[in-house]
Amino acid sequence: MTSDPIILGFDTSGPYCAAALIKGPLIISNRHDDMARGQAEHLFPMLEEMLLSSGSRWQDLSAIGVGIGPGNFTGIRISVAAARGLSLSLGIPAVGVTAFDAASLGVERPVTAVVDARRDRVYARDYPGEAPVLVTLDDLRAAHVTGPAAEIAAQHCGADIRQSPYPVAEAIARVARQRFPETSDPPAPLYIRPADAAPARDLPPVILDDA
Amino acid sequence: MTRPLTILGIESSCDDTAAAVVTRDSSGQVRIASSVVIGQTGLHSAYGGVVPEIAARAHAERVDICVKQALTQANTALSDMDAIAVTAGPGLIGGVVSGVMCAKGIAAGAGLPLIGVNHLAGHALTPRLTDNVAYPYLMLLVSGGHCQFLIARSATNFIRLGGTIDDAPGEAFDKTARILGLPQPGGPSVEQAASTGDAKRFALPRPLLDKPGCDMSFSGLKTAMLRARDGIVAEKGGLGRQDRADLCAGFQTAVADVLAGKSRRAMALYLGMTPAIPTFAVAGGVAANTAIRAVLETVCRENGVAFTAPPLALCTDNAAMIAYAGLERFDAGLSDDMTLSARPRWPLDSSATPMLGSGKKGAKA
Repeated sequence: MTSDPIILGFDTSGPYCAAALIKGPLIISNRHDDMARGQAEHLFPMLEEMLLSSGSRWQDLSAIGVGIGPGNFTGIRISVAAARGLSLSLGIPAVGVTAFDAASLGVERPVTAVVDARRDRVYARDYPGEAPVLVTLDDLRAAHVTGPAAEIAAQHCGADIRQSPYPVAEAIARVARQRFPETSDPPAPLYIRPADAAPARDLPPVILDDA
Repeated sequence: MTRPLTILGIESSCDDTAAAVVTRDSSGQVRIASSVVIGQTGLHSAYGGVVPEIAARAHAERVDICVKQALTQANTALSDMDAIAVTAGPGLIGGVVSGVMCAKGIAAGAGLPLIGVNHLAGHALTPRLTDNVAYPYLMLLVSGGHCQFLIARSATNFIRLGGTIDDAPGEAFDKTARILGLPQPGGPSVEQAASTGDAKRFALPRPLLDKPGCDMSFSGLKTAMLRARDGIVAEKGGLGRQDRADLCAGFQTAVADVLAGKSRRAMALYLGMTPAIPTFAVAGGVAANTAIRAVLETVCRENGVAFTAPPLALCTDNAAMIAYAGLERFDAGLSDDMTLSARPRWPLDSSATPMLGSGKKGAKA
């Protein structure tokens, strides 16, 4: 008899540390600590408390699910780097789950998952649909929305809100549970927005051949 | 008999992702079992400098890969490690965070102690890793990001005698290369061009050389270089190859003069401590410059002080130095818990007056 896999999901792509532990289809523990900063210091103590209080050890895990964004760049990297380190030391897969896949898990289709991109913009992905996009709230077209920016998006485009049935970390753990036996790629952040970088300003001089 | 130790080191504070395994056997012999460095020069070349967000993105997906390679090359496994050492600052915070979080994941899953290491301590302790230099020794750390004189008294006790109040020399070499149309990194290309140049043709400043103390400045030298170049371009409509060689030679000599003059002062302060085996060690990428190295060796000879410079691969950023600094900390009974912070600013000598970025957030380095 094989026991149900235990999966830890966590996410720091927004102003919080969120984590969930599931065993097979059952939720064991769920935690969401709000914080604007300090996720890098808070995440591991929080995960260890969670494992301890549910009588589990790191070695009991079958897979890690990790939120890869989009969202706060540093926040995404905190979780992705942590998940890759855990995957290496525990010898188990780490599954990267987008904020869209997490938000739309168990939500009736068609739906557009939306995540705040600040400055009156959102990251949006249609289900069914293809690649996510970065759009201004004014340009967003959707009939049904879900996800962390659903409320503000609905106000702008008149869509109705479809609530996600799961807290973010639990959704990530559940998506990881569906995918982990097949996943081979390590988790990587989903930024959507390119890095802010301007090409060098100072042009080199004309080099003359000496007479 | 010495306690044998095997330490995994991780470094990601600038534009190199690195991991290494360092061991010490029961006879006290220290050995680098592996040292992996994945650079990012190509990612930043279009921007004329390291772009923090681009660096951070690369580190986040490379730290664990470096660690795997380091373990494989050392023919060892995490279960053979005694602790995980990681650079916790100072540096570009996005990269440092990725290194620290990956290290926490490795330490948690493998049940190993975690040791946060100051990147500057890694450089400053390298002479002990390579040459087993005895405390106290005088250290000049001179690279693209740092320039300071330190007296290393123990793995946890450093006195900073002085440092740059603005740019680091390595940065000035890169800038010089850029304004003269030479390839990056600027250190080797400027040195090569300087080899056929006349250092006396252009009068370039030696900032702060006439001031007492060990502080340095290189920002004014960069500006003077730009002016000298613009003067020739205005006159000729471009820059001749000989002009360029002369500018490079003048620049390199100015940097060497400043470093030599300030090294003399630092050495006088250090010799006042009457060290048993007086030793001056230089580390950082700029230590690879032959002309600069030569003047520093001369200063040492004048003062009867032994000169040492680690091999180039251990002068530039690497993780072997982090593993070794971690080893010394671990040996002293020091380790960190899972709340370890990544710090953009972290002066090695907490008692000295801040030199750089001494705003409300405190000293950078």
